[in-house]
Amino acid sequence: MIQFFHVYKAYPGDPPVLSDINLNVEKGEFVFLTGPSGAGKTTLLKLIFCAEKATKGQILVGGRNIARIRESAVPYLRRNIGVVFQDFKLLPHRTVEDNVSFTLDVLGVPRAEAREKVRRMLKLVGLEHKAGSYPLRLSGGEQQRVVIARALVNDPTILLADEPTGNLDPALTVEIMDLLTQVNVRGTTVMVATHDATLLSRYQKRTVRLERGQIVSDEDGVKAARRMVV
Amino acid sequence: MSALSKVTYFCRSAAVGLKHSPFVHFIAVTTIAIALFSAGMARGAARVLDNLLASLGGEVEVTVYLSPELDADEVHGVRARVLALSGGEVTLVSPDAALSRLRAELGDLGEALAELPENPLPVSLELRVPPERRNPDALLALAKALRAAPGVAGVDYGEAAVQRLSAIARALRFGSLVAFAVVLGATVVIVAATLQLAIYSRRGEIEIQKLVGATDRFVKAPFLLEGLLQGVLGAAVALFGLWAFGRVLGPTLGALFAFLLGPGVAAPWVEPRLALELLCAGCGLGLGGSFVAVGRFLRV
Repeated sequence: MIQFFHVYKAYPGDPPVLSDINLNVEKGEFVFLTGPSGAGKTTLLKLIFCAEKATKGQILVGGRNIARIRESAVPYLRRNIGVVFQDFKLLPHRTVEDNVSFTLDVLGVPRAEAREKVRRMLKLVGLEHKAGSYPLRLSGGEQQRVVIARALVNDPTILLADEPTGNLDPALTVEIMDLLTQVNVRGTTVMVATHDATLLSRYQKRTVRLERGQIVSDEDGVKAARRMVV
Repeated sequence: MSALSKVTYFCRSAAVGLKHSPFVHFIAVTTIAIALFSAGMARGAARVLDNLLASLGGEVEVTVYLSPELDADEVHGVRARVLALSGGEVTLVSPDAALSRLRAELGDLGEALAELPENPLPVSLELRVPPERRNPDALLALAKALRAAPGVAGVDYGEAAVQRLSAIARALRFGSLVAFAVVLGATVVIVAATLQLAIYSRRGEIEIQKLVGATDRFVKAPFLLEGLLQGVLGAAVALFGLWAFGRVLGPTLGALFAFLLGPGVAAPWVEPRLALELLCAGCGLGLGGSFVAVGRFLRV
């Protein structure tokens, strides 16, 4: 589903942010990207949804080489990728329902159909009763669930989450991670960037560790969790 | 996405934009209105100038002096040729009539003319040229043709004065065109700058739109629609201002400058063609300003 071949990313005058990244994520997989701050986790995710362009190397997403993608084709690629951010990026003056249907507005889904999809998605994330509320009146965990609903409402094949629990307390963290696991079980490929070791040991998923822009380990969930305990 | 749902979404989004930043949009509408009002006033002034030129041009008279040796039949023959060449009105002035007119114009000094042994003035034809030939080039061509006609001794039509007047009119028109272009350019910059403030306040929305797969055209459309609405509103305000100006001050100005401007000043300040031009210019300004402003925020 997602393949990196000798990918580099560097900004002029600075040392490379990513160096010689080789990675293969299968369809329906759940992958943690971990490593210290500045290791390149966010940049790696940004390369997948074309918020950044690789300096060198090839990136295939769904079999399509996005290193050579035309600017005008980027929006169509992004329609297959849901993105969840640590800082939510919700529109404060729009209701929860409007925030979630925002994606469907962009895709031109008719209003009645969009309303039904939004209702189903809010039910999935447990916020059906908050459809008319404004984001700033919700807790951090609820806001993040709205973001996840927005990211999933158009049934993307890939969900990218950049530190989705970074601003949440442990109870809300579990709530969000359970939701992401549930999404993965439904068939969506999920990549989560996090530096929270407790998440890695609790959820025991494939873990790719980045340090100074390079992949230093790529382990299955059990092995990674064992290493965390040690 | 169907065209209808797209248009509905864009209109809804544009309405939200206008609602969220009313002050910024007020500034943009006012700027467009002032620019278009100035343009309308300039057009009104240009029309008055045209009227002035036409009225002065109407006073242009060509005098054709005939050779003194022509007999009465030959004079009538030349008159018929001049009439055919000019297409205007031709008045025959006999030497006696010309002398008495000159005496009247000279006043007390005119008595001196009585001492002349004989009348030195030739038979002349006073020619009133039709309106389409009251411009320097046409007058020059007519004078050339008349001079070449047999029996004509000379032609006089105040060539230098006509050319100077036309040069002044050309310079004024060119100056107003340059000033108008500068005003329009400045307006686009001001409208773009004010709209950027409105768009800046919605940058989060643009960022999310881009992240969920909106095309640049989709993101731009509501902002362009906002710009278009501002242009239409600005043009409406400017037209109302011009109409009110014409109603309130037009008659007073017309009365004050009637001796110079002639009857043209009484014409309405807002004509359908001017209204259409200002409306198109307003739409162009609004669209241009919003196009420049929104481009900066699309790089996500």
